[in-house]
Amino acid sequence: MTPQDTLKEAKVFGEGLERVAVRAITPNIFWLTHCLGDLAEEYYKEYFAVLPNAEDYAGDRIVDYPFSSFLIVDEKSLLIDTCGPKQKDAFLDAVQFCLDGRQLDYIWISHVELPHAGNTGSLKRIWPDAQVVTVAGGENYDLHGLENAMTAAPGDVIELGAHSVEMVDALFVDHGLSQWLFERKTGMMFTADWAHNLHEPAKCHCFKFLDEMLDTGYDAATHIEDIKVNAWYQFPWLAWCDADILCEAIDDLFEQYDVQILAPSHGNPIRKDFKTFIPAIRDGMRMAAEMPFSHVL
Amino acid sequence: MIQHITDDLYQIGEHVQTEHGFEAVLTYVILNDGNPILIDCGSHIHRDSVMAQLNELLGEAIPEYLLLTHSELPHAGNIASVAEKWPNIKVIVSNVMLPYIEVLPVLPLKQITQVVPGTKIELKSRTVEFVDALLKDQPGSHWIHDSRTGTLFTGDGFGYMTDSAGSQTVINGSANEVSQTAFEVYHKIAFRFLRWIKPERIAEDLRKMFTKRNVQVIAPIHGNAITVNITGHLDRAIAALAAVNASYKK
Ligand SMILES: [Fe+2]
Ligand SMILES: [Fe+2]
Ligand SMILES: [Fe+2]
Ligand SMILES: [Fe+2]
Ligand SMILES: [Zn+2]
Repeated sequence: MTPQDTLKEAKVFGEGLERVAVRAITPNIFWLTHCLGDLAEEYYKEYFAVLPNAEDYAGDRIVDYPFSSFLIVDEKSLLIDTCGPKQKDAFLDAVQFCLDGRQLDYIWISHVELPHAGNTGSLKRIWPDAQVVTVAGGENYDLHGLENAMTAAPGDVIELGAHSVEMVDALFVDHGLSQWLFERKTGMMFTADWAHNLHEPAKCHCFKFLDEMLDTGYDAATHIEDIKVNAWYQFPWLAWCDADILCEAIDDLFEQYDVQILAPSHGNPIRKDFKTFIPAIRDGMRMAAEMPFSHVL
Repeated sequence: MIQHITDDLYQIGEHVQTEHGFEAVLTYVILNDGNPILIDCGSHIHRDSVMAQLNELLGEAIPEYLLLTHSELPHAGNIASVAEKWPNIKVIVSNVMLPYIEVLPVLPLKQITQVVPGTKIELKSRTVEFVDALLKDQPGSHWIHDSRTGTLFTGDGFGYMTDSAGSQTVINGSANEVSQTAFEVYHKIAFRFLRWIKPERIAEDLRKMFTKRNVQVIAPIHGNAITVNITGHLDRAIAALAAVNASYKK
C-alpha cells in the first residue's frame, strides 16, 4: 500500500489504545489519527456523564473522539502535532510510512499538552535535525519537553515548496499559548481543539472524513450538537462569555481565510464543501455559550 | 527548597527562567500524620532535585496519594520517578481527563481514579474536596481544597512571576504580597480565553468559591503559597483578570 492509497481507505498501525491510522486528505497531506473504536464505549462511559443532556450520550449513539496529527509532505515536510506517548510506536510507524523515505523538517506544535506534543522527543531521536516550532509569548518550553524550539507568531509563514503554512491567531483555546495553522495552497485550516464533531464506531465512522460520514446519516443537526458539546467540555470559560462576540470572531476568521479544508485535532476532517458547514460550526458555538454551566464553586 | 507554609503543609520545587521573570514549578506536600499527600509532582527536568527534596521532607513515610491539579508535564512530568519510588501511590485526577492518553503511561491505569467536582474524601484528620478549576488551561483540571489548613490548591490559577530573590519564599507578610501587575503578566500568558469573557462574571464565581469555604492559603503551582491578606490577593487577581481582558480591546 502506498501513502496515496490512503486517499480511499485507511492504513492502520497498532491496535486498541495504541492504534494510529493514516488517511491522505490530498496526495501530499496526511491525517494521522488515534481513536478507540470498539473500546470507546468503555472509555467514554463517564466522560459525558456530567452533561446537562447526558442521556443523549448514554443510549444508542456511542461516540468516539480522535486525537490527530497532520503531515504535509513537499520539498520540506512539516508535521502538525505529534499524537500522545501511548501511541508512540504506531505513530512513528505512520509518520515514516507517509514520509516514504524523506526527512522530517519541521515539528510544528499547536500547544503543549501530551496528546498534541508528547512524542516530540521520540521524533527528534529519529530526525535530530527537525526544527520544533512553538508559539511565542513567554512559555519555558523545556518544561514541556520542547527544548530548542523556534517560536513563531501569527502571520509568520514557513515555505515548504508548493505548500506554505501561515501561523494563525488561535481564537478558541484551552492553553494560553496555542496556535492554529493555515496552509495556503489547499486552504486547509488546522484549528487544534476547536470545531470538532464526534463519530460513531458502530457506523464505521472511524478514520472517515466528515464529508464521507454524510453517507451514513451524519447530518447538520448532529453536527451542531457535536460542536456544541465539545466546545462546552473543552472551553468551560464559555460560561462567562457573550455568544455574539464569539460569532463575530468566527465570521471574521472565515472572511480572512478562504478555508477549503477543515482539520481539527479531535474531529473528522472536512475535505469538501467546507463552506456549507460553517453555519453549523457557528451555531454550535453559540449554543455552547448559551448552555447552562454548573461549576462547583 | 523545602519551605514550611503552615501546620503540616510544605512547598517544595524549583523555578525556571522565562522572558517575564522567574516561574515557580512547585509541588505541595501535606504530611498528614504519616500518610503524606502530594499535590502535583513537579517537572521531569527537575527530577533529581524534586526527588531529593521529597526524600528529605518525607523520610521513611510513603505518600499514599498524588492529587494532580492536571497532568501537563510541569505538573506531572516527574510522575515516572514518583511511581518508581512509590509504586503503590494512588493518583486522583479530574473526571474530564482521559488518563490513558493524558497522563504519562508509567503506572497502571487502575491506580488512577477520576473524580467529579464536588467530590470529598476523608484523609485522616482532614477532608479534601475537589472543585472546578475556574482558571485552567487543560480541560481536565480541578482545584483542591484542604479543610485542615484551609488551603485552596489552584493549579495554574493565581500564578505569578517573581524576581530571582523572591523565587521561593512563602508570601506571609505585607512586604512580599503579590501585586496586581504580577498576577496580570502571568494570567495574560496562561489564559487566552480572558479576551472573550465578561470580567464581572468570572469575578462573581471566584468570589463565591472563596466565600463558600474557609480559605487561609492560596497555593498556586507557579507561584509561592500565599498565607496573608487572602481577600486582598483575591481582589488583585480579579482586577488583573479585568485588566487582561481590557488589554485586548485597545
Ligand atoms: Fe488542548
Ligand atoms: Fe486537544
Ligand atoms: Fe497548565
Ligand atoms: Fe502549569
Ligand atoms: Zn473512532
